Amino acid sequence: MKTYVYLLCVCLGAALAGCGGAGPPTHQLTESNSAIRAAEEVGAANTPKAALHLKMARDHLRNAEALISDEEYDDAALVLKRAEADADLALALARETQARAQAEQAIRRVQELKREME
Amino acid sequence: MSAMSAMSLPGRAVRSALVLAVAVAASSCASAPPSQELLSARAAYRDASQSQAKELVPDQLLSARQALEQAEQEYNDDENSTRARTMAYVAQRKALIAMAGAGIMAAKKLFEDADREYREMLEQTRGALTKERAARKDVEAKLGAALKSLEEIGKVKEDSRGTVITLSGQVLFRTNAASLLPIAEQQLRKVAEALQETDESRKIVVAGHTDSRGSNVANRRLSLARAESVRAFLVQSGVAADRISASGRGEDEPIADNRSAEGRANNRRVEIIVEAAQSGKSEGGK
Repeated sequence: MKTYVYLLCVCLGAALAGCGGAGPPTHQLTESNSAIRAAEEVGAANTPKAALHLKMARDHLRNAEALISDEEYDDAALVLKRAEADADLALALARETQARAQAEQAIRRVQELKREME
Repeated sequence: MSAMSAMSLPGRAVRSALVLAVAVAASSCASAPPSQELLSARAAYRDASQSQAKELVPDQLLSARQALEQAEQEYNDDENSTRARTMAYVAQRKALIAMAGAGIMAAKKLFEDADREYREMLEQTRGALTKERAARKDVEAKLGAALKSLEEIGKVKEDSRGTVITLSGQVLFRTNAASLLPIAEQQLRKVAEALQETDESRKIVVAGHTDSRGSNVANRRLSLARAESVRAFLVQSGVAADRISASGRGEDEPIADNRSAEGRANNRRVEIIVEAAQSGKSEGGK
């Protein structure tokens, strides 16, 4: 009995690892989803450049889901990679905009203080 | 791959020669022209490698480079397969991420510098304020001592108008005259010294008063002339002219009963009013 179970496990593992395209790309789906959520959380939707890439990421995700339901798992995995890359970029762009705004505000504060002290 | 790392070398000629070499090398392996994704990825990486990313986010730039290398490899192996194009797409995004990363670091540095400057300025301001306050306290103490010395020649009191020094008319002037007696000049010199110790923002008013004898008009004229004499002497003794003004109040503000000789003597007086410092207004000059 034990041997059978063992064999079954080995077979399943081989099937999964063997040709990456055997099952739906659940891992990549999770990665892309969480990258999109992270971008949303830093407010990517509120900065134009970031919002563009956030939209691209969502579109890719939607396409990937359609491909998964058509069992086109290999293509879906690739589209999900695009989704993740765009979401990561959206996050970076949003952070950049925020950092720049913070810097500008700090610089303005210094200038105002200087003007007051004159 | 060595061509990739050499792309950050300066010199347009070198760069274009390399690009050509890469293109030739690529075309020898893959017959199809590079995809739009790959062209964009190469351009984005070139921009990133020439940006501040090299210094500010070397790890992100490295990751962008590795992604581009993989995309180039995939292109050589499999031309413009979906997989090759996807890798180029990802590589382009990674190059843009490295540039954004550099932007974040640069902005953070700007923020930190400005924030430090702001806090240092606040610290300095606070130090200056403390010093100013200490100096003012010192002046007030000196003034207090100086005014005490005046108690022999006049009365000093604080009221809603500020510090008021009241000098007896008898000490200062002969009857019906506005010129100062010699002894008055000695005493007014002390007053002038004390006044110079006071905060310059405090205005000084010299107010002349008479008793009720004589006409109102004459009393007003005499009180003004006396106040003017005192003012002129104080200015001559060093009090800033624009700080100090004279006013003749005549018989309108008695402090004692005009029916007795003693009361009238008390009403004949000159008041030197050092007005309370105006709060909120900054101290000038000294």
